[in-house]
Amino acid sequence: MDVYRFALRNISGNPFRCLVVVLCAGITAGMLLASTLILLGAGQSLSKAIHRLGADIIVVPESAAAQVESALLLGHATNAWMPAAAVGQAAVVPGVQAVSYQIHLATLKNASCCTVSNMFLMVYDPETDFVVTSWLEKNLGTGLGLGEAVGGSNVFTPAGEKNIKVYGYPITLRGNMEPTGTGLDSSLFLTLETALEIARESVIRAEAPLVIPEGSISTIMIKVRPEYDIGSVARQVAARIPAVKALAAPEMFQSQRAELEGLRNGVILLLVITTGFSLVLVGLVFSMALNERRRELGVVRAIGAPRSFVFRTLLVEAGFLGFQGGAAGSAITILALILFRRLIIATYGIPFLTPSLPMMMILIAGSLTGSLSGVLLAALIPAYRISHEDPTIAMRE
Amino acid sequence: MKWIGILFALMALVIGLVPQFTNCSAQGRAIQLPDGRSMPMKCHWTANATPVIAAPLLVAGILLFFSRGQEARRGLSLLGSILGFAAILLPTWLIGVCANDEMVCRLAMEPTLIFSGTVSAAAGLFGLFLARKNPAGNVD
Repeated sequence: MDVYRFALRNISGNPFRCLVVVLCAGITAGMLLASTLILLGAGQSLSKAIHRLGADIIVVPESAAAQVESALLLGHATNAWMPAAAVGQAAVVPGVQAVSYQIHLATLKNASCCTVSNMFLMVYDPETDFVVTSWLEKNLGTGLGLGEAVGGSNVFTPAGEKNIKVYGYPITLRGNMEPTGTGLDSSLFLTLETALEIARESVIRAEAPLVIPEGSISTIMIKVRPEYDIGSVARQVAARIPAVKALAAPEMFQSQRAELEGLRNGVILLLVITTGFSLVLVGLVFSMALNERRRELGVVRAIGAPRSFVFRTLLVEAGFLGFQGGAAGSAITILALILFRRLIIATYGIPFLTPSLPMMMILIAGSLTGSLSGVLLAALIPAYRISHEDPTIAMRE
Repeated sequence: MKWIGILFALMALVIGLVPQFTNCSAQGRAIQLPDGRSMPMKCHWTANATPVIAAPLLVAGILLFFSRGQEARRGLSLLGSILGFAAILLPTWLIGVCANDEMVCRLAMEPTLIFSGTVSAAAGLFGLFLARKNPAGNVD
């Protein structure tokens, strides 16, 4: 009888032991995969959001800096404004290469005049913009006309409709940007001309008019000359314009980064505890099971099976169980993370992007290897001990 | 095979109980009609329908835990699998949930039903495979 068939027969002979080992391996693999996916996805998401915002420095109203940062990440408009004159003040700061501004708006909640309820609208000025326009020219070849918009990766025109209604005004979706995993994926980017037209028409078309405060803007986007230090330019901008906060791109989303750091420490601690307990439990279960099977294994040895056969059989058993548990744990974790992604984002306020398929495969392989080697390690000592025992003593006991 | 019975029973409890607390009506939300009356949202009806799936799934799980015959195990596994698929179809196709992505039914109820349904359906199919694989009846 070969090692594999013998191991499989042993596995089917003791379902409870197998279930415990499979559960432990599944929990280890699942925890390993979930923590890696969330932490990696959250880090990627923050980097992509900074890249999508596209500026070296973002200037926001000082009183609502944290709110605006969180709003940009989760895709919610805030009611924080600053005077449009601040754009001119920022432009004269040494080291500033380009300056533009954005106005953040939202569609009405649960209103029939808006296809999507409470959708984040990011309005830019095409004459000065260096963020959306460059993406448009690269991907669509032209800028946006009146009544046109580009959306995040989750924005689409409803089936059977030709346009997306914003305050009753029909908007043509020209294209979608790459996913970032943040609220920007559910946002609509449109020109100032279109936003003003929507505001004008909303008086007669919408349940409530769109109000764009005159002479007010939401954020200023600054591009810094390559030879200048972004941090020092940000400090100068903040010193020159009253009641604003200038956030250098590398320093953005600090509260989210701090939260992520806290989460990382917690997850690592939990992972160590769970994995440790699982391995101890697997080792204990194997020790008990092998103690019960001493006579049986003694007989196997007595009829001529070498030590290496018994040792290999026990490790193959552990390997089979570890692989089964690891595969089931990984599959359930992936399913749960994909399905509950929005709930996790809403609960913790940290967006995370599901990694690409090749990356996912690498992570699954990693967690499988982790759980498999854990189970093998836990089974190694009991397997070695029992396979090196004298068969006559084993049978007598 | 017993563990599939336990899994069915656990998933049945999740399918039957979680939607009762994670639908929009349970959170005090309703559609306000122009005449002042309020009407339950779509997810309320989905939550009302879930016990119809959860109860037979629970019974199937208990019976599977105690059953010894291969025929019975096959039948109960198939039943669990079909009920799992039904749990997936309730929020996605048969009744549905609210359209707004930020509603609690979209965030919690829909993924819970899809998750539990998928786990039940997969476990049922695996049980069917196990019951077919060992005609001698020794599949624990």
